[in-house]
Amino acid sequence: MKTNAQTSVSICKQTLLAGLWRENPVFRLLLGMCPTLAVTAAVKPALTMGLCVIFVLLCSNIVVSLMRHLLKPHLRILMFTLTIATFVTIADLFLQAYFPTMSETLGPYVPLIIVNCIIICRAEACASKNGLAVSIIDALSMGAGFTLALCILASIREILSTGALWEIKIMPDIFTPWTAMRMPVGAFITLGLLLALVNAITVRKPKSAAQ
Amino acid sequence: MSKIKLFIRQSWLLIVSSFFFGLLLAIADAAWTPRIRHNKSEKLNTLMSALLADAEGFQLAAHLRIDSPYAKTIETDIYKAIADAGQTVGWAFNASGFGFADKIEIVVAVDKDFTKITGFDVLSSNETPGFGDRIKSPYYRNQFAGVPADLLRLKRTGDPQTIDSDIIAITGATISSQAVVSIINSTLPSVKTQMRQKELIDNEN
Amino acid sequence: MDTLTTLLLAFISIVLINNLVFTKFLGICPYLGVSGRIDMAFGMGLAVTFVVTLAGTLTFLLDHLILIPMNLEVTRYVCYILVIAGAVQLVEMYLRKFFPTLYDSFGIFLPLITTNCAILGLCLFINLWQIDNLLEAVVLSFGAGIGFTIAICIMAGIRENLDLADVPDALKGAPITLITAGLLSMAFMGFTGMIK
Repeated sequence: MKTNAQTSVSICKQTLLAGLWRENPVFRLLLGMCPTLAVTAAVKPALTMGLCVIFVLLCSNIVVSLMRHLLKPHLRILMFTLTIATFVTIADLFLQAYFPTMSETLGPYVPLIIVNCIIICRAEACASKNGLAVSIIDALSMGAGFTLALCILASIREILSTGALWEIKIMPDIFTPWTAMRMPVGAFITLGLLLALVNAITVRKPKSAAQ
Repeated sequence: MSKIKLFIRQSWLLIVSSFFFGLLLAIADAAWTPRIRHNKSEKLNTLMSALLADAEGFQLAAHLRIDSPYAKTIETDIYKAIADAGQTVGWAFNASGFGFADKIEIVVAVDKDFTKITGFDVLSSNETPGFGDRIKSPYYRNQFAGVPADLLRLKRTGDPQTIDSDIIAITGATISSQAVVSIINSTLPSVKTQMRQKELIDNEN
Repeated sequence: MDTLTTLLLAFISIVLINNLVFTKFLGICPYLGVSGRIDMAFGMGLAVTFVVTLAGTLTFLLDHLILIPMNLEVTRYVCYILVIAGAVQLVEMYLRKFFPTLYDSFGIFLPLITTNCAILGLCLFINLWQIDNLLEAVVLSFGAGIGFTIAICIMAGIRENLDLADVPDALKGAPITLITAGLLSMAFMGFTGMIK
């Protein structure tokens, strides 16, 4: 019993860390690129998007994990999509009701969470095979990893494009804002360079990190 | 019979959960729709009150369809601005058209006889940051406050301080500047005519 | 005449000015994944064009015939995704039965398309832009597919040549693709402002 408990704890720990770095959805698995690029012009929308994804991921993982024994193989994907779409609608309504300006900034990228590969991928790879606890931890860690990646990208872009972070000015007056960073070009190139940086770090580290 | 049984055995989960999700959506919708509606009207009201300083409240007066020369038909809501004592102090309506990158939606406010524009504000736009989105800046917007409610012209150079029908374009954003002028030009005259036909404003001017 | 101009403008605007890949970031996943060879990319592009035209039209009809009259807008996203998944399934079955050769050439891409955000994205944009006639919605959907095909083919062409280039180790794979996409999106920025 004891070893069993220990292994489950270590599994939990592993899943928790996996999402943040080793299997980071954005930097390592290259999932969910569309929101990653679209909403990261500033930190505020990026964080909101990250929180929405965490909420949807958590709910869908819980629901899928609870009914994993009842799922019929060929109706599986349909069930996942239905679950995800429902929770995305709820998240969207919530944003419209309580954060109307944020909802306008994010626009159609909130409903686009439905086709965000991260969520369906976690439902398929984790929640439909594991118990409630592992699924919840997996959702939280994957969500956190995604949010972290969004925020890193968004802070770089916001600082360079407006000289401010979280709308608070931090760069000296002499700094000329790079408007291009707020446009699609900035998103593509910043993410490309970030991925290159991540690649460089993992190549340099011995195999233990890359596993 | 067995076919139906098979069908039910395969899909009962789908049916039950659809029902459950539908219920969840209905609850969320019922709980938040009033708030969402309130948010939307609040935003419009705030913009309109900023444009018409004397107004205490707004009242939906008419819903018009305008055949614009470039785009298709534009639908617009006309709001009557009412002061404390109940008299009309002005009108405001929304209009839209194509800008540099995407659709631009604006609110235009005019005085009570439709003789002067009191200003406009941008409801939503997706213009290039630093260039086209300067149509939201006071430099550009102030040029509209107090101009005669007739056709406007866009000029490249001139004094932006003078208040007349010549609007001076924003350097580097001529197309966005032109877009706002075109939107106003394509809606304001026909709003005025239709309002007269409906006898909501006096025919004298 | 007037409607023709509107339709033409809508088509150009969705293909070049509001290109889903370069300005709205939609459909990036397949863009990174399969755009390695031109013929594959073209197959994928055609499959997407086919499905997006169908899905755009169907969701538009669904919206205007059922959801709006019955005040069911809250279920819009659920309905859209179900329609798209259904459309993909139908196309797959239809092709397998009647055009086996065509099915062989782009059948493998079809299941991938359900989760291609370009499709759901386009349906949502049609709704957001308040398009109110069917013809325009069809033209927009078709144009979006063409725009996607153009983007993915340009990219595949560049990547075929990139194989011969000496790219630094860290930049190999996705990073250099994204940077190329950035440069391409800058080129596409030249189209903005074409329509006044």
